[in-house]
Amino acid sequence: MPETEKFVCVGCPIGCPLELEHEGDEIIEVAGNDCKRGAKYAKQEFSDPRRSLATTVAISGAVWGRLPVKTTGQVPKHRVMEAARVIHEICCGAPVEAGQVLLEGLLGEAGLDVIATRSMENVE
Amino acid sequence: MLGRAEGKYDVVVVGGGPAGMGAALGARDSGAERILILDREPEIGGILLQCIHSGFGIHYFREELTGPEYAERFLAKAIDQDIDLVTDSYVSGVTVDSSGRKAVRVMNERRGILTLETRSVVLAMGCRERTRGAIRIPGSRPSGVFTAGFAQKLVNMMGYLPGKRIAILGSGDIGLIMARRLILEGCDVVGVFEIMPYSNGLTRNVVQCLDDFGIPLHLSTTVVNIDGRDRVERITVAPVGDDMAPIMKRAWEVDCDTLLISIGLIPENELSRNLGIRLDEVNTGGPWVSSTMETSMPGMFACGNVVHVHDLADFVTREALLAGQFAGEWAQGIKRPTDNISLVPGDNLRYCVPHSLSPGREHTVYMRCRDPMKKCKLRVGDLREKKLRYVFPAEMISLKVRPDLLDRFHGDSLRIDLVPLERGEEGDA
Repeated sequence: MPETEKFVCVGCPIGCPLELEHEGDEIIEVAGNDCKRGAKYAKQEFSDPRRSLATTVAISGAVWGRLPVKTTGQVPKHRVMEAARVIHEICCGAPVEAGQVLLEGLLGEAGLDVIATRSMENVE
Repeated sequence: MLGRAEGKYDVVVVGGGPAGMGAALGARDSGAERILILDREPEIGGILLQCIHSGFGIHYFREELTGPEYAERFLAKAIDQDIDLVTDSYVSGVTVDSSGRKAVRVMNERRGILTLETRSVVLAMGCRERTRGAIRIPGSRPSGVFTAGFAQKLVNMMGYLPGKRIAILGSGDIGLIMARRLILEGCDVVGVFEIMPYSNGLTRNVVQCLDDFGIPLHLSTTVVNIDGRDRVERITVAPVGDDMAPIMKRAWEVDCDTLLISIGLIPENELSRNLGIRLDEVNTGGPWVSSTMETSMPGMFACGNVVHVHDLADFVTREALLAGQFAGEWAQGIKRPTDNISLVPGDNLRYCVPHSLSPGREHTVYMRCRDPMKKCKLRVGDLREKKLRYVFPAEMISLKVRPDLLDRFHGDSLRIDLVPLERGEEGDA
């Protein structure tokens, strides 16, 4: 029995309502898209939705109490909250350089690292 | 950070966000020698430093960066280009003598009041958030009511959470992004309330910041009361009718301890107003600017959100590089002819920037529409039409005007309208 899953396209502000028809894991058709980006987006969202993740970690000795960080790759959508909880355990001390790796292999995925997105000097 | 801040400058830039950094670099490109950026915060970077999410740099760097990364790249350029950077410094005024030379008055905690001479000035103070007072939400005055951008600074830089159970008024991008931030930090976000029948943020943010986390977005709904003695305890929300008036008999209460307000930004122009610079109070809320981004006061330029609120930092940078270029030229005695064509926003356009144009140069005109529209066209007087698939108030419209386009124009004011496509025009929109 074919089933339908609905998405809202994020390609542009029109936000086409997309309907993806599938049978199990097999995609049959995408409808509702005004342009081809919509079809690509629906297929990605159906088979392996991922999100980029940016948050902060505690830092001591710096001008502010939090250091902004991001993951070097996208995180599976259903594991975003779990990833955030792991990242929030990190504590570091100034100085830190932008791009410095703070945690390797997030969620056990090789190559998925947590890096600082700014430099912070030690001000103490 | 306390740089030299002494002697005479060619260009002094007020504000060290993306506009100020872009302007300083543009001035350097023009050949100006002594350039200074002043900022009241302890660091250069502006609001970019608290925008830790990605989505910056796609146009300028051709890669997706977070706000702090975007800021740090520009800071590195500014240091490399030997631009003086002075923080913790508040500009309280600028005076202009009869020969046009300017003196910038600066207050600094350690050095007291400084007066810095300069040939030209770039205003790049950015914008402020509209507050509860701007829309007069009734109710008591408990703690727990924050603007979304201030909450963003608390969470992302200072390390404080504004509360535990959060309601958000307004669905602009800052409100949406804060909804996700607070969920990731372990708060409950009970809902986002938007008075308009559509979100004012990017679809991507509605999906990735709200839908992903099951946060409800209530359209055509607003906050009609805030209740609580010391701390917010609950708010009352109500749907609005076509006349935007709340329908009180359909109101309901929402338990929360915090209300974040994300209801728009206004250019920060206290300094400009005190200087007697002409402001476009009706349309942009910022200074009136010519095609060289010069204000009504000769040698005073402006760029970025102080002129009009942009939706992407990349567009601020583009505008700022241009303003800096002309400010730098001005400092070196290169004066461009005064614009002779004023631009008038017509049907369904809230504003056009710049406010005037000159023939013989390429221009980019930025516009914002009043109402969303599908399949429409920009009509530039009777000179040119450009078809657009859609327009939304949340997305700036830009239009390139080629140098020869205005040669055929003989009036002194050019009106731009946003109108629906006529029958038979729809094919290739």
